[in-house]
Order: sequence, then C-alpha cells, then structure tokens
Amino acid sequence: MIIEFQKAAKYIEKNCSADDYSFFIYRSDEQQTRYAQNMITQNMSGVKYAVRLSVAYGNKTGMARINSLKEEDLKKMIETAQNIAKLNKPDPEYVPSAKKTKIPKTDNVSENTSKATMKDMVSVVKAVVDNAEDKKAFISGLVTKKINDFYMKTKNGFEGFDSSSEFGNSMTMADNKNKETKVERSVKDIKDYSVKKEIELLNSQFDALTTPKKIEAGKYNVILRPQAVLNFFSFLLYFFDRKTADYGISAMAGQIGKNMFGKNFTLLTKLDEKGLTAGPFSGDGVAAKNIEWIKNGVLNALTTDRSYAAKIKADPNFISNIIIRGGKATEEEMMKKVKNGLIINNFWYIRTVSNKKNEITGLTRDGISYFENGKVKHSVNNLRFNQIIHEATKNILLLGKEENMSSNVKVPTMLIKDFNFADTTTF
Amino acid sequence: MDHISVALDHAQSLGAEYADIRIQKTRRETIYLVDLSLKNTSMNVEHGYGIRVMKNGAWGFAHSNIFTNDEVKKTVESAIKVADLSAKIKKGKGLTLAPERGYIDAYSTKIQIDPFTVPLSEKVDLMLEVNKTMLNYAKIKRAFFMLDLYNDDKFFASTLGSRIHSNIYYVYPMITATAVKEKDSQSRSHDDGGYAAGWEHILKMNLIDKASQIAEEAIMKLEADEPGEIRRRDLILNPNHLGLTMHESVGHPTELDRVLGWEADMAGVSFATPEKLKKYRYGSEIVNFIGDNTLSFGLATAGYDDDGVPGQKWYIIKDGILNEYGSTRDSRPFLDDGMSRGCSRATNYYDFPINRIPNLYLEPGKKKLSPQELISDTEDGIYIEGRGSFSIDQHRVNFQFGGDMFWEIKNGKKVRPLKDVLYKSNNPEFWNSCDAICDERYWQDFGVTNCGKGQPMQTARMTHGASTARFKNIRVGGSK
Repeated sequence: MIIEFQKAAKYIEKNCSADDYSFFIYRSDEQQTRYAQNMITQNMSGVKYAVRLSVAYGNKTGMARINSLKEEDLKKMIETAQNIAKLNKPDPEYVPSAKKTKIPKTDNVSENTSKATMKDMVSVVKAVVDNAEDKKAFISGLVTKKINDFYMKTKNGFEGFDSSSEFGNSMTMADNKNKETKVERSVKDIKDYSVKKEIELLNSQFDALTTPKKIEAGKYNVILRPQAVLNFFSFLLYFFDRKTADYGISAMAGQIGKNMFGKNFTLLTKLDEKGLTAGPFSGDGVAAKNIEWIKNGVLNALTTDRSYAAKIKADPNFISNIIIRGGKATEEEMMKKVKNGLIINNFWYIRTVSNKKNEITGLTRDGISYFENGKVKHSVNNLRFNQIIHEATKNILLLGKEENMSSNVKVPTMLIKDFNFADTTTF
Repeated sequence: MDHISVALDHAQSLGAEYADIRIQKTRRETIYLVDLSLKNTSMNVEHGYGIRVMKNGAWGFAHSNIFTNDEVKKTVESAIKVADLSAKIKKGKGLTLAPERGYIDAYSTKIQIDPFTVPLSEKVDLMLEVNKTMLNYAKIKRAFFMLDLYNDDKFFASTLGSRIHSNIYYVYPMITATAVKEKDSQSRSHDDGGYAAGWEHILKMNLIDKASQIAEEAIMKLEADEPGEIRRRDLILNPNHLGLTMHESVGHPTELDRVLGWEADMAGVSFATPEKLKKYRYGSEIVNFIGDNTLSFGLATAGYDDDGVPGQKWYIIKDGILNEYGSTRDSRPFLDDGMSRGCSRATNYYDFPINRIPNLYLEPGKKKLSPQELISDTEDGIYIEGRGSFSIDQHRVNFQFGGDMFWEIKNGKKVRPLKDVLYKSNNPEFWNSCDAICDERYWQDFGVTNCGKGQPMQTARMTHGASTARFKNIRVGGSK
C-alpha cells in the first residue's frame, strides 16, 4: 500500500474517538486530452485525493470528506465528522461498520498503463486526426488515462486496498453533411488498446453511412451493436435495488426467482472474467463475489446494501463488474434471421419514463442503417424509443460475441424483434 | 498572494502568452433523509488550485492541492508541458482569446444567514418533520429529503492583471413522496432547484405545507387516468416545468462551444448554427430569452466567470429570433471579433473551465394575464407542473418531456388529474407554438445545480425562470 495512505490511516485511527468509524483514502492520477474539430481543445493533468471518514456515536452518524492527506486537514475532518455525529439525530437503520472480511484477489492494474505518458495520449490524437483529415471529416473526443488507488478500513476490522488502471479513447467523426458516428473503448492495459483497430471500426461505421432516408415510428427488428446494448441495459441497474423493489416502487417487486426476463438474457458479475477488472469490495465494506443476477431470464438477485441486508437477514452484495452473456451469431447471420430491420450503433439521452413499468426512453445516435434480405440498404433518420427493458429481453432472437466495452463491462451484439420506436426525428 | 505571482511570473517566463490561476475552496454540506433514516450527513471540503496557460495557440492545464511555491512552479511547468504537446495538434494558429482587460474586484452572494452556521439539529429537525408529514399518509411508502448547502470561495488571477475574489453560496432543498399500490407507484416532488441565498431562503419556503401537498398529489396520481393516445392539443406549462424545457431546448443549443462542434463527442452539437444568427425564427414574436449573469439570486452569478470576464445581460432570443450565443474567451474568436459573454465556468479547482449556459430566462408577457385566465381560455389541453422524464437529441432539435403533475383541461376548466403524460415536439415547432405568456406577477425562477457537460463530466449550475405559458397544438399523450 502507498506509504502516504498508511501514514494518514494511522493518524485517523489514533485520533478518531468515535464509538465506530470507517474511512477510505483515494488517489487518482489522471491525464485527459480532449480534442474537437481536428485540434486539441483541452489538455489536463493532475493528482486528486479524497479522504472520507464516517463515524458513529451509538446510532448517531456523521461524515466528512476532504481532498488532502495533511495532518492538520485530517484533524479538522475528524473533528467535523465527530461533531456532526454528536449533534445528529439517531438513525434507526444504522448498522455498525463492516467486520474483517476475506477479500477476493483481483488484478485491476497494469504497469503498462501506469507508464503511459501524455505524449502517448497525444500520439493517439494525432493518429485519429490524421485519419479524419484523410476522410475530409472532423473528429472530436477524449483520451484518458487514470491510475486509481483506494484504501478502506473500519474500526470493526475491515481492511481493503485496490489499485486500478484505465486507458480509453472516445471519438466521434462527422462530416459537414449527415454522417456522424462514434467509437469508444477503455481498457485496463494500454497494450490492449489498438488505435489502428479502433480507427478501422470507426471508418467502417462512417463509410457505411449514406444520406438518411425518412423512416416512421413503429416496431422494428433491431441489431443493437455493443455500445447501444451497454447504454440501453445500463438503465436496468437504476431499478436494481432490492429495497426499492421490496417497497413496491420498481418493476422488480416480487420478481426474484421468476422468469421476468427473456431466456436469452443472462447478466452476471464474475471476478475472474478474462480481460475485465472487478472492484474487490464496495465502499460499504462488502466483499465482491460472483453473482448471476439474471440467469436465462430468471431474476436471481438484486443489489442489497449492508443496512437493508441486516433488516431482511440476507447477504449484502454489489455489482463489481457487468457481463451480459453473448452467443456466436455474426451480424450477417442476424440480418438473415429476419426479413428487415435496423442496425443501431448507439443510444443517447436515455431517461426513465416509468419506474414501475421498467420503461425508458432515448434516441438513436451515431448512425442507424436499414437492412433487408440480409443486406444493408441505406441509412435512415434517427428515432426515439420508449421501451420496457425486460420486454425487450423477451424478444432477443440472437446474440453475438461478447466485447469488452470498458475495463469492467462486457456485452454482446443483440438481435431483438419488435423494438418500440415511439417517434421519428427530423435528422 | 505569493503563490499567485509565483504562478503567473513563472508561466510567463516559460513562454505563456496568457496564464491564470484559480484558487478554489468548495464546502458542501449534504444531508439525505430517506423515510426517517439519515443516509448521509456529511461535510465535504475540496481545496486546491488550477493553473491554465496558453502557449502557441494551445491550452495547458494542471492542478494541485499542495500550497507551496515549489509545487506551484511544478504545476505551472506541468501546464506548460501539456500546452506544448497540445500545440502539436492544432488548426492554423490554433486557439486565440477574445479581447478582455484585467479587473480588481470582489463579489459575494447576498446572504442573511450563513447556512453553515445553522445548527445541524435545526436542519435535521425540519427534515424529520417534513418526512413524517409525508409518511403520515398510509399510501406514501417512501419519503425523501435532500438538503444541499454550498459555498465556493474562489480567487482568480490572470496575466491581464485581474485579481478577483468571489464568495458564492446556494441552498437547495428537495423533497419527494412516493405512493405505492399493487400495480403502480407514483412520485411527486417539491423541487425549485437551488437558489443563491442563505438559510433565510429555506425558512421562507414553508416545506411542511409543501410536504402535505405533494403527498396528496402523489396519491392522487396513483388513482389518476393515463392520457391515452398521443394527439395534438394545447399545453400549459408552469415556470418550474419550463425551467427544464428551456434549459434543454434553448440553453444548450445556444452555447457557442456546442455550435462550434467542441462537444460533438459527448453532449453533442447544435442546430442553431452561426448563419442563423439574427435571422432564424426560434420562437413566436412573444418569445424573448435573456442570458443574465447579473441576476442577484442566479446560480451562475459570480461577478465574473472563470476567464475573468464580468457578468452580463443580453438577449439570446429577441422577439423570437436567434440573437446571440453564450460564449467564452476561447470560443468567441471562432465566431467574430466580439467580446466573450462571460460563460466560462469550471466546477471544481481541478476542472478546466468550459462554455456553460448562463442564467437564462423567458421574459414575462407584456399583457396582464394570470395562469387561471390562461386555463379559462383553453378548450382542450393539459396543464403540467414540475419536471419529469426528459430527453433530447444531440443536435437539440427533437425532444420528449414528461412532468410531475398533470391536469386535463376541458372547456376552460381543470377537469381531472392525469399521470404518465409525455409530450413530443421539436425546435422550431415548440417555441413558435407559444401564443401566451403570463405577466411578471407570475414569473418564478428555477435553479439547476447538476447540469452535466464536458469530458470529463462537470456539473454546473444556473438559474432559469418563466411565467406560466401556453403552447398550441402539441403532440401529447402516453408513452407509446
């Protein structure tokens, strides 16, 4: 563990006089190079710290957070948290801090990424700008590098440390007419990021776009590419809290153990999944574990924090990484499986329409193509969907190979029938 | 002050054509009360500085939280190194800055009671009473109260000679009641957003009465009908609702950086491109939008922006025509040789300032008109209060909005409550369909504290405002 973390931890333990406490110390070394219209518009570098202390006197709690490891600042933080707790009202749902727990071993950091410099990042920008200029197009995006260190300790014996790394690039290429498409990916190890491959993918999406033809709202077969799958199903996690379900507020109410989703839909957390990182413990002091949240359409578990787990006498859990299981189908096979449909690169501005129905809305973005009889015919205008998430999973016809979309997310391409587009757009 | 001259002198000695330093201490007290359980009672403090340099037409930015002259110099050197690398990928001469001069000044939010000095017990007592009021209704299964108290103490200095101190406060209470029955759950919130003021603003709000009202309305929504198929009818939107609509469909499209394509990879671009300036009919003739970073209670009001440009007031939409953008010193030169409108803001000391929406409001109607008179004058429509689901495309043209409370209007009367109402419209249809705006007696503000934009994402704050207004012949109905 980092020496400055140890020193700060010792100071907090020595000086915190509350009945109970837990704290974390976080350090993030970040570099971010932002580009737009084929030039760099922002470029940033720096290290950020956070120290957060939660304390309790009986069941009266308080919390303080600072961004410094200096003893004088730690002293103020301890005093502040303790004063808040002393003056606070009792919390009827208070649970003591986490006890000593066996934390799974994870491998979340790459030395290659740690060694990457801003020069490496600018070289990625140079490559994508050169490509855009060759295409007589404009490119915008962000290259990031992050090295994060996280240490957590409680008075009741929990102690955990995790280091993680991430290198990523998000880029949108557009012309002055109708073409606009995006590719984004982040990885743990910079050696797994191939700017050449990403440019090839970007170019293939860009070249496939034509002047969009008008298409009306309605139900369509859709091939959701991985970025669209990720953005669409990320919203499922907004409804994934056990307590909210048990209170009858979300669509998950009373659904554990039932076939709420389609049989082709499996969502899980797997700590040793190849190429993925996994947070080894939560900020609440819960050790990560493998969980099949949804298996072949059956809802097996919902996220449960320690406080609610104690109330319902269940094991607490959290989502450490996200895998949506895929299959073997190629896009060509998907296009042949149905008479016609739409290929969706991405969704945008997704929001909840109804918690109780599990219904969300959003728009297509970054290129949408119409296919018929197994072949792409032309691009079409963007559409707005209003769709119940679990209903969409019941209409999954084929699954493609899983792809790592970020350091802790892996999802496949999906063919889904009768996806509900409620409105057309003007472009 | 020593650190300031060390930073600026060192930056210039290393070739910076321009440099600034922003020393910022942000204090934020947040309390979350879920039902009667205090989920978070915390005080967060972030203190540090960001140094921005422009060299050879490119920005470099670095930040630190260590306040020594050696560290300040190291941070400058890091920013210069970053700028040197950035300059390798630029178009033409790269970035330039709109003209500006230096200022020596100070600005503070006008507060009567410092919210950080109010005893915690007073805050928590109020919150508990509010949540108990909501939970007293049997069908209310969840009561939520968030209290967000904020202070930014900032010193900005630049090589133009600016030395500007600002001390900004806002307070933001938000309460939600959720009613549940077997096959439905419905929420209703009291959420006016943040307000640049002290604790006195909370005391004026009468939150206990609001708690009863929203609990009753959440239960009312539970039993309300859905609106049925989408069809065209009139919409009457209250100021709180319009705050979000204008934010998304006028505020973001008129940010100059979006117009220039600088946000293309994330937040998106804008349909309101420069050739449309002074020509494009954005709204009907009664639609006037003002950008106003001098508004005393405005969340974007800080005296000066993070480029050191003074707060200003200007028409963004004038008599329905696109008039001008919100701009920054680095975006404005791409449009013309004018001065920045002072919209450059960073959230934290470690954030790079970007082009943000100013305080933006719809001017009230000039003729005397009350919301009740507007309803009486409407044959077939829906009245919407508050914010709900909202979604708009990346060019800021096509959108779908919900709301928080809905009433069907028939023959000039509110006849029944509705639930799960959505309307679909676009630019320029929506603002051109505005045929009536209530007068200034009914003008209300709405403060946004979580406007997400940029890469990496920053959350900015600004105030909107409007009087209740009517929009003719809009597609409105259920979700399908």
